[in-house]
Amino acid sequence: MKPAGKCPTEDSGEPEQRETETPFSFTPQLARLHKDHELFEDGDIHRHMYLQDLYISQEDEPTTSVSEFACHISGCSAVFSALEEYEHHYNSLHRHVCCSCRRSLPSARLLDIHIQEWHDSLFTVLAQRQDMYQCLVEGCGHKFRTSNHRKEHLIKIHKYPPDFRFDKTKKDRGTRETKRPPQKDIAMEEVGDVCESEGVCEVMCDVLSEQPEPGESMETLVEEAAAHLTKAADAGEDAGLSAAVHSQECPNKDTLKPQYSYRVPSTVCFGHGSIRGFRGRRGRRK
Amino acid sequence: MWRLNRVRHKAGRQVGSSEEVRLKRREHERALRQARRDRQLVSKRLLLNEDEEQPEVIMDTMSGEQDVVSLLHKLQHSGPERETHLRALSNALRGPSAQLSFIKQENSMHLLVSLLTGSNAQCRLHAVRCLHELSHSPHTNVAPACLPATPYLLTYLSGQSTKFTELCLYTLGNLFPDSDIVKEKLLAQGIIPALASCLENQRHNLSVVEAVGFTLSQLLQAKDAAEKIIPQVLASSLPSQLLSVLTPDPNFGLAPAIECAWCLHYLACSEDNRELLARGALLQCSSLLLSLGDAVAEGKKEEGMELLVCPVLRCVGNLLSLCPVDSLSTQVGDVRLVAAVCVLLQAYPHTQPALARESAWVLNNLTAASSDFCSALLSLNLVPGLIQLLPFSQGINTMVLRVLANIAHKKKKFCVQLAQLGLVSTLCATLKMADQEMVTLSLEVLFLLVLSTQQVADEFVRLGGVSLLEAIQYNSEGEMRRRAAYLLEHHLLTHSSDLTVDNVL
Repeated sequence: MKPAGKCPTEDSGEPEQRETETPFSFTPQLARLHKDHELFEDGDIHRHMYLQDLYISQEDEPTTSVSEFACHISGCSAVFSALEEYEHHYNSLHRHVCCSCRRSLPSARLLDIHIQEWHDSLFTVLAQRQDMYQCLVEGCGHKFRTSNHRKEHLIKIHKYPPDFRFDKTKKDRGTRETKRPPQKDIAMEEVGDVCESEGVCEVMCDVLSEQPEPGESMETLVEEAAAHLTKAADAGEDAGLSAAVHSQECPNKDTLKPQYSYRVPSTVCFGHGSIRGFRGRRGRRK
Repeated sequence: MWRLNRVRHKAGRQVGSSEEVRLKRREHERALRQARRDRQLVSKRLLLNEDEEQPEVIMDTMSGEQDVVSLLHKLQHSGPERETHLRALSNALRGPSAQLSFIKQENSMHLLVSLLTGSNAQCRLHAVRCLHELSHSPHTNVAPACLPATPYLLTYLSGQSTKFTELCLYTLGNLFPDSDIVKEKLLAQGIIPALASCLENQRHNLSVVEAVGFTLSQLLQAKDAAEKIIPQVLASSLPSQLLSVLTPDPNFGLAPAIECAWCLHYLACSEDNRELLARGALLQCSSLLLSLGDAVAEGKKEEGMELLVCPVLRCVGNLLSLCPVDSLSTQVGDVRLVAAVCVLLQAYPHTQPALARESAWVLNNLTAASSDFCSALLSLNLVPGLIQLLPFSQGINTMVLRVLANIAHKKKKFCVQLAQLGLVSTLCATLKMADQEMVTLSLEVLFLLVLSTQQVADEFVRLGGVSLLEAIQYNSEGEMRRRAAYLLEHHLLTHSSDLTVDNVL
């Protein structure tokens, strides 16, 4: 559109409280269109079809089309025709993603367990001495010395299939980890490769509400680690964990984390797997 | 009832199954689109003979060409059979190769011109019919061959015979775009003043009006029209004439108004349309649009009405862009114009998305500069209808959202009203759309709304907007990320810390 615009003035009685520097730039603009403008193409074609006596009443040829919805996460090119599809996609694939290995888990709880068991070196240490492997069924509470024990429990007691997809052991990962390409510049990597391994958990669904936690202020990773130590929860984490935190570099810190602090979404992580581990301290939301 | 039946411009023959017909149509449409992109979109019209129901199937064969040669030969001799031969010639000249054959014959045009200007009225009529067929030729070298006849065609425009005048006009309109030489000659021979006086004298004769409109539109679409043609037209009496015949006659139908409206559109697109404003074009077009909107609202959507709505909408849209704000109310007149445009906008999104898009553009121009029109949209309760259009793509929803943004931009009071109409929850949906412009515009509108009252921010948070904006921060587009981040930081998160857990859910 060729703006030939006039900026309307605001009411003098209602002063704008806008800061001078905002990223918002909309102003109403008058648009004058020349006769060859693309906006006019369809109408022109219709006119000329009429001149050449090819006019037909358009009632029998509906050409409506509706806007599609698309996943915002950079790198995910999923597109949907209905809002519900979008919501389902987002909830299934982007809500509970492990940032270390980019696996998508169906619930926050399973994600927590995954991170603990796969990416937490403290867990590995502790698991040598005590029963650390939790039963996956919410409310069961049993813990086991090895993942095989847990698996037996799941099959025997909870009648799970032996090939339950969210109970893969680290060994099952196999070549997948080694083939991982170097981390790209975007936080959320291709979701495509996550989709292949995970499905939707049918048995239990503790999809937590999306509401952001109130009262959270913005902290850097380092500060959060420090805060975490003082509020250590039942897992018995100690200083060893914070060492694990610092040793894992967040590759995307500069590119996507903006200059000013902003809230780390509790349900979407970026680049740093161990943040998920902190969720324990806030307690479970029921 | 529309004149589609009466003036049968080369009625389409239904050859083959309906599927074949549709395929051919689509191909034809594609060709037209490509022609437009190449700035070569030109159409010609063919008037059928009065006694013809359908055009005769022309066998474009050697016999046609031979007929031409032999007929020409016969026409050399005067006598009562001349009329018959001439009539036969006009039929033969419908075939493209016969047309070529004709112009190759020595002195053929000379002969035709002498018959055109002779004392026999019937021969004149058949001769002009021959020229008309020639003008319709797909071969571009035919038109220059017809140049000897054009001064006479122009002279005859001031005559009184309807059919004859029509044929002259359509012939001239067909010839004009074919070559630069033809254009130059016709302009030099005074085609514009001739059209002006023809229209003036024959205003009561609607078939002639339609023909003048068509011919003028051919002139106005020329590539160099802006320098050579439009200034002359604007200086003549043509604009006022066109405006005066704009209202369609209920008996005759829409066709003359359609042609004149398209002429006005080409004029309004030009750089220099202040002339048009001065002559009350905006007022006239606005009131026509109002009555068209009323007709559609009452369910009286005539066949082909969109062919008239389209150019009138465009005139209004472009004239608005140049109209000074303070004279807007006098130029447009009735503020209810917004209602008419909304009616048109809502009538066509399914069948004619382009028309819906153009209506939305006009609304943008109405609301961009004027608070009165924004206020009218709200007070006439037209906004809910606009909100319902936001799912429609093909440029409709972005334009409609722009209109809503125009309204929100004017006053905080308007923002409050928009929020009360449910715009916030709609934005939660539009923020998820694939179209980047939609998302960016949604963020802009959200910003304007959030600035107006705290309630908007509360509502947005309540609807899960925060996590939505957080997701946007992973979008590859920096424009979106910056806006979403700004909203979160400055308006949504700072206040959400005051809420307790109970409130949030």
